[in-house]
Amino acid sequence: MPNAGRISNRIRRLRFDNDEMTQEELANHAGCTRQTIIALEQGKYVPSISLAFQIARAFSVTVEDVFQYEETG
Amino acid sequence: MAPLQKRALYSLVIGVVFAVALIVIFIVKGDVTTFDEDLGFRLMVYALWVGVPLAYLIVVNLTLRKPGQVDERDRLIMERAPRFQFLAVLFSLTAWVIVLTEVFSDQGQVPVIYLTLILISTLIIGTIAQALGILFGYWRGESRA
Repeated sequence: MPNAGRISNRIRRLRFDNDEMTQEELANHAGCTRQTIIALEQGKYVPSISLAFQIARAFSVTVEDVFQYEETG
Repeated sequence: MAPLQKRALYSLVIGVVFAVALIVIFIVKGDVTTFDEDLGFRLMVYALWVGVPLAYLIVVNLTLRKPGQVDERDRLIMERAPRFQFLAVLFSLTAWVIVLTEVFSDQGQVPVIYLTLILISTLIIGTIAQALGILFGYWRGESRA
């Protein structure tokens, strides 16, 4: 059985690349709360597929441009 | 602070205030045996009985009034909180059974007032435990959707 990997993201980088979009603005675009964006940026939360797509859509990029899967072990 | 987290905090405060108020009333007005004889005592307990759930409902409505205030992470935390609640209620009922059995076993009967106290304490403990479960979920940072 393969080891579970780690999912990282580039949300903070993408926000700054998008005219310094605020966490609140991103949350409104993605349909979640600002606290969830904070948890995502801190790597404390892994979103559902649906939220991952909404976040990627908010930046007009693909899901893999936002989230990366890193295998561990 | 997330709206759900805020609501949990208010619920915790209400639950603790209710518990403390109840304990203070029972200490000031006498023990449970005077409950049947003292109308003022009963009215105070009934006032708490009505007032606290009302306060709770107002707080819940005020803190989660707008749509979109709860997202998938909040729901995940909310879904996991009842585990806390279940265990807390189970332990409190077990404690009641043990204490009442030990205290009243020689009399063969338990005063009726204890039914009300068991119900009130279960509701208080349920509310406090759910709030603690939610706050613990945020503190720990639920990590998987």
